[in-house]
Amino acid sequence: MAKFPRILALPIAAIFIVGACGSSNTGGSGGTGGTTGATITVTSLWGGSEQESFQKVLDEFKAKTGNTATYDAQRTDYATVLQSKITSGAPPDVAIMPGLGFLRQFARTKGIKSIKELGLDPAALEANYPAGILDSGKVDGELYGIMVKFNSKSTFWYRPDTLQTAGASTPKSWDDLKSLITTLQGKGTATPLALGAKDSWTLTDWFEEIYLRQNGPDAYKKLFSPDGNWTDPTVSKALDAMKEVLTDKNVPGGIKGALGVAFTDGIAQAFGENPTAALYYEGGFVGGIATGQTNKNLKIGTSIDWFGFPTFGGSGDTAAEIGGDEIAALTTKPGVKEFIQFMTTADAGSTWAKTGAIISPVKAVGADSYPNDLAKKEAAQVAGASAVVYDGSDTLPAGSPDMGAMLQDVIQGKDAAGLLSTFNTGVQKAWADEK
Amino acid sequence: MSTNVASERLAAPARETASARILRSLNRTPIHIFLGIIAVVWLAPTIGLLITSFRPRTDIQSTGWWQVLGTLNFTASNYGDVLNANGMGQSFINSLIIAIPSTLLPLAVCSLAAYAFSWLRFPFRDTIFLVIVALMMVPVQVAFLPIQQLFKPFALTQGFIGIWLAHTAFAIPFGVFLLRNFFITLPRDLIEAARIDGSSTMGVFRTIIVPLSVPAIAAYGIFQFLWVWNDLLMALIFVGNSANLPMTVKITTLLGTYGTEWHLLAASAFLLMFVPLAVFFSLQRYFVQGLLAGSVK
Amino acid sequence: MTATPVPINPILPAKRSARTERTTWPTVLLFLGPALVLILIFLVYPVISTLRMSVDRGLGGEFTRFVGLQNYIDLFETPSFVGSIVNNILWMVFYTGFVILFGLIIAVVAMRVRYESIIKGIVFLPMAIAATALSVIWTFVYALDPHIGLLNALLGVVHLGPVSWLGDSGFVNAALIAVGIWGSTGFATVILSAALKGIPAEVLEAARTDGAGELQIFWRIIVPMVSLPISVLAVTLIVNVIKLFDIPYVMTQGGPGNASRVIAFEMYKQDFSAGQFGKAAAVAVIMLALLIPVMIFNVRRFRSSAVV
Repeated sequence: MAKFPRILALPIAAIFIVGACGSSNTGGSGGTGGTTGATITVTSLWGGSEQESFQKVLDEFKAKTGNTATYDAQRTDYATVLQSKITSGAPPDVAIMPGLGFLRQFARTKGIKSIKELGLDPAALEANYPAGILDSGKVDGELYGIMVKFNSKSTFWYRPDTLQTAGASTPKSWDDLKSLITTLQGKGTATPLALGAKDSWTLTDWFEEIYLRQNGPDAYKKLFSPDGNWTDPTVSKALDAMKEVLTDKNVPGGIKGALGVAFTDGIAQAFGENPTAALYYEGGFVGGIATGQTNKNLKIGTSIDWFGFPTFGGSGDTAAEIGGDEIAALTTKPGVKEFIQFMTTADAGSTWAKTGAIISPVKAVGADSYPNDLAKKEAAQVAGASAVVYDGSDTLPAGSPDMGAMLQDVIQGKDAAGLLSTFNTGVQKAWADEK
Repeated sequence: MSTNVASERLAAPARETASARILRSLNRTPIHIFLGIIAVVWLAPTIGLLITSFRPRTDIQSTGWWQVLGTLNFTASNYGDVLNANGMGQSFINSLIIAIPSTLLPLAVCSLAAYAFSWLRFPFRDTIFLVIVALMMVPVQVAFLPIQQLFKPFALTQGFIGIWLAHTAFAIPFGVFLLRNFFITLPRDLIEAARIDGSSTMGVFRTIIVPLSVPAIAAYGIFQFLWVWNDLLMALIFVGNSANLPMTVKITTLLGTYGTEWHLLAASAFLLMFVPLAVFFSLQRYFVQGLLAGSVK
Repeated sequence: MTATPVPINPILPAKRSARTERTTWPTVLLFLGPALVLILIFLVYPVISTLRMSVDRGLGGEFTRFVGLQNYIDLFETPSFVGSIVNNILWMVFYTGFVILFGLIIAVVAMRVRYESIIKGIVFLPMAIAATALSVIWTFVYALDPHIGLLNALLGVVHLGPVSWLGDSGFVNAALIAVGIWGSTGFATVILSAALKGIPAEVLEAARTDGAGELQIFWRIIVPMVSLPISVLAVTLIVNVIKLFDIPYVMTQGGPGNASRVIAFEMYKQDFSAGQFGKAAAVAVIMLALLIPVMIFNVRRFRSSAVV
């Protein structure tokens, strides 16, 4: 099917220029003079406080263009449901999706429309973004998806108050992290490291961060490309590091317990009203969920904050990983074009950024758009990174074996070599099938 | 025959039944203890959910529902939250919109066909009937892709028509089987008398068969209604418009969204159970009958 | 946990009297037409179409590349699919076995008491409830937090646990199967109770005068006498297992790892959602193939009763 050489949708080596031109309003608020009064549906997988944040963007869209966009949360089974809706001819008008594997598949099977088909000029839109950022949404050279938000995945969340009581400081290196855990255990926090591994993507993020830091951005990109080799010793080395800290002793309820804990419940272990842990690794979106949903009494800087993912002394230590969501059109209904265009504007970007839930890739969204230090720091972390890579598990082909499930097996202590070899076969096949 | 409801037979005095005598020699105390345990095991989880659904969020996180006597602190606000903020009210209505036509349509279609299979004579009648009985086993998974592709040009999953048709079609083999088994037990004389009086085939169906078969039709109707109300998989596949999602699907999205929001989960699960439980308690006789599938002595 | 409709009792033969009117085709079509049209479109056509799709790569819904049996070969080389079949077998053995065993025990014991119908009503209650709701109920019971999870609270009383019922791959299948058993036991109780009451008193009397013990009577007389309802029940429950989807979907999403995946879930998650429609169709065909013996079982019963 694919007639063009595949362009691997990873190379976001761009440096984000945050706060470069804080005030200019590019794109003149979407579809001025275009359609008004249209109603379209937008689907994505956020619920709870993340959904409330996005709703503000939709309200702004209505205020600016007179069109209505209604949001559908599809949290549990995002890809299946979207696939099913496309197959049965009842797709939502717009989807905001995290998986580049799905973006590629939907693009190639004509499930989604290219930006050009919508009547928008890709080159003009690209001007709103730092160079290279939109490459992630290209399939076979054609722009299908536009990254509308991202979060750093290199943020390690912690409770400053607990660390202070224990007389500990935030760790720089991996060894620091390990000794911090030991220190906390000695000071009354028996299980310092919260983990919500029932949602297996939390484990893929753990793995990716470690692999990136141990092996650098180039090796990381290679691993998540058709040339990736999962039986390579670097992979099992990263898994070994992961298993050093994700242990029965460190994690509330032990590993088996954590495998029954959802991502949001993991946040509550560290930041709920009765915390049993002090550390929680997950992306920048934890801040918004923890303060907006889990526990409204959290004080930024006192009871919640983050440090950069610990270093391993390699070339990847200064790199950042991001998880981004791509917006794509599934229909060409009136209002769709206007919505996509609106989402590329500084209006949309800063409205969303002000909620503290996301970092906007739009150039014109300035540092002052972010409501608190957590988000400002997050934007700065990505902007200051020596290299930015995309969430690897999101870039694997849709037909791959479940990477998160594989990691769930690994942390239970099952034979990693065997699991990796099976996984490698499955991923290779899925890449080959994608063509 | 199926009017001889299982539950009626079950209600017969226990002492008179033969196998009951087997246990006569046993001491009765262990029996009561055993049945008491059974009752607790089968009731406690559901009662726990009911109690939880009326407790404030902070209470749920700090004490178990079994300690509720210590606090006696109840609220209906969980229900308010799920009905309004989380769209469960709309889903409740959607469940009804899906279930009612998906019950009435099969009732009509199956009664007509069952009549043909029991009282009309035409070539290959029993062969066709056998094929239909065999089709009862076709898993709905088989229909996912072909039916979705069939629906695609008409966008039937966008509205309710797609799910109505799918439920109706998948209900036919069982419905025809069940109703036919009942219809053939109706007295031949009545039907022949009506024919001699000049009734048309449709007339016989309307004036004799349907009125006499109300118990069987009701049993099947209840069964089908609950089947549809409780369905998750067909709704996942054949309801494309998320404004139309029934409660079963809506609750699973809630599970994904709110890891910690036990109070919302409990209230919405109980809303989902409310209708079947009401049916169960008010129409238990027909209900058991429906499940027993035309129990024949 | 509404049961899959399966004929519990044999299909009655139609009356073959010559007086049954031969009917004109328009009348037959009037009665039979709607049912036949729907069945042809929604059941017969999909079976044929799915067979065809299962031998095509079918990526993203384009059925243009014939691949022979490759999808089937791929499936059996996929560990998560093989694992899901193993889990279905676990379900078949333990779910079916325990539902029948508990159903029989409860039916036999409950007969001895005056509140029999109440006990049966209580045990039967979960049959009315959606599997989705059952799963939510038991997600609470199994919760790790002993303030929420009843089971871990009980373990806490004897200073054990907490056990991560749904997060421990050693427990997860047992935990899910227990939910299934809890949901279906009432069905077995009601059916077996009806069958037990059909056992003639004289048979038991005779056995007892011959000096048979109560346990002997249970195994030698009661069990054989209800063997037909038991076999039909077993078939119903096995059909439930082959189609099983809701409980793993709601409670674990097949996890941890792939520990609790079952065939129907695997099809939905791994193949259908990935747009690998050829493979998804192949899974559907495998499910159908597993159900063919049940079809034959049903048709045979029809035949045998028609001959009598």
